[in-house]
Amino acid sequence: MSLRSRELGFLIPALLLGMLGLAAGASARTDQLQAGPWQTALGVVLVFVVMHAVLRLRAPLSDPYLVPILAALTGIGLAMLYRIDPGLAADQAIWVTLGGIVFCAVIVFLPDQRVLERYRYVIGLTAVLLLVATMVFGTEVNGSRLWLEVGGGQRIQLGELAKVLVVIFLAGYLREKREVLAIPTQRRLGMNLPAFRHLAPILVFWGAALVVVVALNDFGTALLFFGVFLAMLYLATGRPLYVGLGAGLFAVGALAIWAAVPRIGARVDSWLHPFSDAQGAGYQMVQSLYALADGGVVGPGFGRALLVTEGGSPRIPALETDFIFSGVSNDLGYVGAIGVMLLYVLLMARGFAIATAARDGFSKLLAGGLTAVVGLQAFIIIGGVVRLVPLTGVTLPFMSYGGSSVVVNFGIAAILLVISNRSRQGLVEAVRGVPAT
Amino acid sequence: MNRSIRTLYIALACAFGVLVMMLGYWQVVAAGGLDERADNPYTMEKQRLVDRGRIISADKVVLAESVAYREKGTKYYRRYYPQGSLASQVVGYATSQQGATGLEQQYNNYLAGSYGTGAILDRLREETKNGADIRLALDTRVQKTAEALLSGRKGAVVAIRPKTGEVLAVASSPTFDLNQVTTDFASIRKDSGAPLLNRATGGLYPPGSTFKVVTATAALSTGTWSASSTFDDKGVFVVDGKPIYNSGKAKFGVHNLRDALTFSINTTFAQIGDTLGGRRLGREMNLFGFAQPTEIDLPSGEVATSGRYRDGKLLPNDQRDEDAARIAIGQENLQVTPLQMAMVAGAIANGGRMMRPYLVRRVITPDGVIVKQQRPEEVDSVASAYIASEVGRMMQSVVSGGTGTQAGLAGLSVAGKTGTAETGDPNRNQAWFIGYAPAEDPQVAVAVVIEDTSGTGGTEAAPVAGEVMRTALAAGPVRGEPRP
Repeated sequence: MSLRSRELGFLIPALLLGMLGLAAGASARTDQLQAGPWQTALGVVLVFVVMHAVLRLRAPLSDPYLVPILAALTGIGLAMLYRIDPGLAADQAIWVTLGGIVFCAVIVFLPDQRVLERYRYVIGLTAVLLLVATMVFGTEVNGSRLWLEVGGGQRIQLGELAKVLVVIFLAGYLREKREVLAIPTQRRLGMNLPAFRHLAPILVFWGAALVVVVALNDFGTALLFFGVFLAMLYLATGRPLYVGLGAGLFAVGALAIWAAVPRIGARVDSWLHPFSDAQGAGYQMVQSLYALADGGVVGPGFGRALLVTEGGSPRIPALETDFIFSGVSNDLGYVGAIGVMLLYVLLMARGFAIATAARDGFSKLLAGGLTAVVGLQAFIIIGGVVRLVPLTGVTLPFMSYGGSSVVVNFGIAAILLVISNRSRQGLVEAVRGVPAT
Repeated sequence: MNRSIRTLYIALACAFGVLVMMLGYWQVVAAGGLDERADNPYTMEKQRLVDRGRIISADKVVLAESVAYREKGTKYYRRYYPQGSLASQVVGYATSQQGATGLEQQYNNYLAGSYGTGAILDRLREETKNGADIRLALDTRVQKTAEALLSGRKGAVVAIRPKTGEVLAVASSPTFDLNQVTTDFASIRKDSGAPLLNRATGGLYPPGSTFKVVTATAALSTGTWSASSTFDDKGVFVVDGKPIYNSGKAKFGVHNLRDALTFSINTTFAQIGDTLGGRRLGREMNLFGFAQPTEIDLPSGEVATSGRYRDGKLLPNDQRDEDAARIAIGQENLQVTPLQMAMVAGAIANGGRMMRPYLVRRVITPDGVIVKQQRPEEVDSVASAYIASEVGRMMQSVVSGGTGTQAGLAGLSVAGKTGTAETGDPNRNQAWFIGYAPAEDPQVAVAVVIEDTSGTGGTEAAPVAGEVMRTALAAGPVRGEPRP
């Protein structure tokens, strides 16, 4: 069986899963059996069919499991949004379509990811500009400055795009510096360290991440950027010392900010003791925990939990974005929530497999970094929902409501598939004795 | 680089493993506790959706039911108590704001429909059955009589069937209207009479001379004394250098043990207690269930343990160096519940066999399936049948010609014992009566306590007990119920 046929074989059940979810949500809404919003379902199915077709034509040797995993996550997310508010699902279907277009565009117009390495500094600079633009012109929503107003009341989250650009830049930069970073030339404080000029970028990044925390009032984005940076640093050098050092520095900085900035201190307090102010600062967290408890082991099924009040408003503020995982856990229970987490682990497994199979350092770092960014983001927001880490406002990739996030994550998947296609192609050509290009 | 890719993957996968564990904590381990929190909207919402079972008395009077109403197309239920304040402390309430009490709490899983082996599966499916009805042994005719007699006073009445342990009435005065709990709980709570307290099961009173029934049982059980053993009363008995007098400093001269109980002679019982000693008397108290939690189907927080208290702490019964003389006449920090004393009377009535008291006879689903059927259970044997009948004969003479004549019923033999615990303030006596009837085939045993009265057990509590027993005997056993 060809790789693409295998993809189709997994894609069909994955899409059916989402359609069943939509139907279940619709049936729960009206209390009678229904197919649900078939236009939305059909539209999304079509998007994935086109993505599959484009892969058949332009990247036939790419990994066959990634798109089905995407389809399953997108479908569950759509079904969840539909049961919260049908209007949200209709919007999201449009974002998914846009994501599909970006996906296909990347596959078609980026036949080889290695061209990106050439433009690493331009890309890095663009990322910085995007973040600065957000800081300066951004609109504050829920206390965090993450959005940029564009025409027609639409907002885009440039940070989402910036995170991909940062990974591309880091892949190029670390590919260049990995040898000097990996070889210690001095000994300080009992640790073998490379020369200061090679270590400086780490400190710059550390500072930048802290600036982002304060300026954007967004711990999640900072944690994500810094986490990806450390992950890629580790991939490049294979030295856990850097990860420990970096994490330590970040923790020290975060503690200092916690102590110094009262606004952030209050946030951490409501993380540690949500029940002490269950009607105020801890409200969102407490309501989310009640939703988890109500979900129990199996949960009542899509649309059957009391997630939305009689008036139609969600019980948990930001249910459709930051807290969509609480919704899944409530409707589908512990079992369903574990299923969703397993999908993310599978996604990482495929992403890191692609990185392993890639044939050059840049491609390995790029694939590993992109995979890490998606996995870390899912971890940070799910961790926030289950109170493992302080709650932050990052989206759950492929599931949360929001155009920027969906489009960018589809783009990430496309780049991964390009890398995968490229390395398999190289392998085939090598076997056939044709020189790889 | 492939090695570090692998390590990173393992690290991230492990991080997700931690997420899975943390989520399991909230969804499985902590879920029950979170569900029970008062501000949990899910719990409140779900309670409104449940057609809670009814609480029905032995004479088929509905004490609690759910009334359906529609709001925005959804069918909700609210609790309604047709009898208002009748047996309010026993029936209890179930609200999301004030929590739950009484039978509403104790039988919540049955009333709310989450009972049986299917309960876990139902929880998994998030389905709720219709609640099951609970059928009480409590008879509203007896209950109404008891509450009417207590009306305007503070006190409690417990009536049980001595042969089965079925509870016929649990009255505690003052009462409150159960329907008022959801509308104006504040004024109930502020009431200085503490109507929320179930005095019958949770109120602790010095037992006074009613405790002499226990002492008499202990005395006869040793074989040292019989009902006709003679004593010579000089009007005072000195223990630990302090005198014990009779009520009104009366002097009785030469008398036997029966006379001592009939006229409640303190000096004689103090002398018996002193001779028995703390160990022997304590063993008898153990048999009667003192210092052990009383097992009845009410929330444990609403049932007090009878026994000796010092600084609010319960003491064991059989300590050697205690003042057994004063314990024998119901002093020395003894604190008892009316329920406990009804059980003492019931044990004597039932040939020395103490039965476990219970309010609910059975739990029955809306379609008539019996989910739970309570059978009479013996708690303990406090004395031989012979000794119990001897003590019972002595108690009969209390009512026929002693301190308890006002509990007497025309054409029936009644056994009983009065008690008057003095507080130092002559207007604040705690008046007691415990007893049973008819003496030859006991059908009902009672305990009555009246707080803060200038009267005595004989003048205040005994008439109440007589009337309650008369009503209980007139009501008779309900058809189709287990008869011993």
